[in-house]
Amino acid sequence: MGLDFHVIWDNLTYFFIGRYPHGPLGGVALTFYLAVVSCILSFFGGLILGLLAISRNRLIRYPSEAVIQFVRGMPLIMVIFWMYFLYPNLMGRPMPESQTVILALTFFTSAYMSQIVKAGIEGIPKGQTEAAISTGLTHRHTMLHIILPQALRNMIPSFVNQFVSLIKDTSLAFIVGVSELTMVATQINNRSLIYPTEIFLFIAFVYFIFCYAFTSLSRYLEKRLAWAKAI
Amino acid sequence: MRKMLLIVLSVLLVGTFVAGASLAGDKLADIKAKGVLVAGIKDSLPPFGFIDQKTRTIVGYDIDFVNAIAAKLGVKVELKPVTSATRMPQLQEGNIDIIAATMTKNPERAKVIDFSHTYFFTGQKFLTKKGAVKSLKDLAGKKIGTAKGSTSEKNAAKAIPTATILSFDDYPQAVLALTQGKVAAVTTDESILAGLLSKLPKGEYEIPDIRISDEPYGLGIRKGNENLLNFVNKTILEMEKTGEAKRIFDRWFGPNSDTPLYRTFTITADK
Repeated sequence: MGLDFHVIWDNLTYFFIGRYPHGPLGGVALTFYLAVVSCILSFFGGLILGLLAISRNRLIRYPSEAVIQFVRGMPLIMVIFWMYFLYPNLMGRPMPESQTVILALTFFTSAYMSQIVKAGIEGIPKGQTEAAISTGLTHRHTMLHIILPQALRNMIPSFVNQFVSLIKDTSLAFIVGVSELTMVATQINNRSLIYPTEIFLFIAFVYFIFCYAFTSLSRYLEKRLAWAKAI
Repeated sequence: MRKMLLIVLSVLLVGTFVAGASLAGDKLADIKAKGVLVAGIKDSLPPFGFIDQKTRTIVGYDIDFVNAIAAKLGVKVELKPVTSATRMPQLQEGNIDIIAATMTKNPERAKVIDFSHTYFFTGQKFLTKKGAVKSLKDLAGKKIGTAKGSTSEKNAAKAIPTATILSFDDYPQAVLALTQGKVAAVTTDESILAGLLSKLPKGEYEIPDIRISDEPYGLGIRKGNENLLNFVNKTILEMEKTGEAKRIFDRWFGPNSDTPLYRTFTITADK
C-alpha cells in the first residue's frame, strides 16, 4: 500500500488554522498559541512557586510544597480534565476551553519548573549569598541581583527540556474537545478513514519541526548568554 | 497547614456541585433571552457531526436538527464540540443547553438527564470480511473491536459472552485492526458502520444482517427543564409532519450519500 498525501493537501488550511475565521482557531495555530502562552505563564509560575518553596518562612514553604507535590502526583490528562470542569465553576460562567487547557498546562508545568528553579538556586555556592549580605544587601536584593541572574542562566537547558515537553503535552487537550493539531488530525482521520498513516506521519513531522525550532533557538540563546559567565 | 489545604479542597469540590445545581429555572425563557442555543455536538463523527472539507464548518445530521430547533425558537446556534465523556457533565453544569451527539437513550442515562423523542433509530450490527460471518455463532470465541465508552461495548459482551471485546479509542483504529486481521469484526451502530464500510475497498467487506440491539438516539436535556423538552419534542414532531426530518435523513443517509441506509423509523411521540 503506497502512501497518498493528497489528504494532507486537501485539508491543509484546516490543519493550520482549523475553523478560523468562521469559528474558533484550531490546528497548528492553536497548538502554537497554547504552547507559547503556557510557556510564558509557566516560566513565571515556576519562578514564583520555586522561590516560595525555598522561603525561610514555613507558613509559605509548606503550602507551596504541598501544591507542588500534589500536582506532580497527578497525570497531566487528569489536570486538564479537572480544570475543564473546575475553572468555569470558579469563575461562575462558561470559559473558553482553550483557556482551561492553558491554565492546566501552566499549573502542571509550573510545578515541575519550580523544582528546576529550586535546584538552580541551591546550585549557586553559599559564599555568594554570604558575601552579598555582608556588603549590606538585603535578602531580596541578594536574590534579585546576585543569585537569580546566575542561577537562571544555569537553568536554561532544563527549562528548554520542560518547554519541549510542554509543546508535546498540548496534544492532550484533545480530551476536552479542543481542536488543536492532534484533535484536528483525528477529525480528518475519522472523516477519511483510510489515510491514518499519512495523517499521523504529517502531524508527527509538524511536532518535530516545532520542537526542533525551539531547541535550536534556545541553543543560540545559551551561547549568547554564555559570555557573562566567563567574567 | 493540612487543615488549610482541606478547606481549600472542600471549597473547590462543593463549588463544583453547587454551581451545577443552582442553574435550574425556565431554560426556554433563558435561551430566548440570551438569543443563543448552545448545543453539545460531535465534530469528528460523520455523518452526524463532522468538519466539512470545503467550508471548514461543522455539518451533519445532528447539526441540522439543532439548527431547525433554533430556527423555530428564533435564536442563533452555538456549536460546542463535546466527547462521549464530557457531554453529560457539560449539560448538567449548564454549559450547554442541549445534547445532539449520537446519544443512545437508555434507562441509566434517563435517570440523570431527560431525552426527547427518538430522532434517529439504528441498531447495533457487525462489520466483517465478506462471507466470514453468517450468524452470531461464527463470532464465538473471536476478537471483536469497538470504541471505548460506547454502549456497543456492553451489548457485544452480552450477545457473545465467549468473544473478546477490544475497545479502541475510536472507530478508525478498530477498522484498521479489522483490515489487518487483528479482529474478526467491528461492532457498533449500523449508521456508523455504513460510513466505515463506504471507505473500505469495494466488495471485500460487508455488514451481515445480524442485529444485536436497538439504538434509539435522543436529544439530551437537563432534568427539570420541561418547557424546553416539550418545545423540542413538539418541534421534531412537526419536522416529521412537514417532511423536513425525512429531507435531513436523505441528505446524510440517502442513496447518493456516503452512508446509504433505509429509513426504518418515523419520529413519533414515544417515551
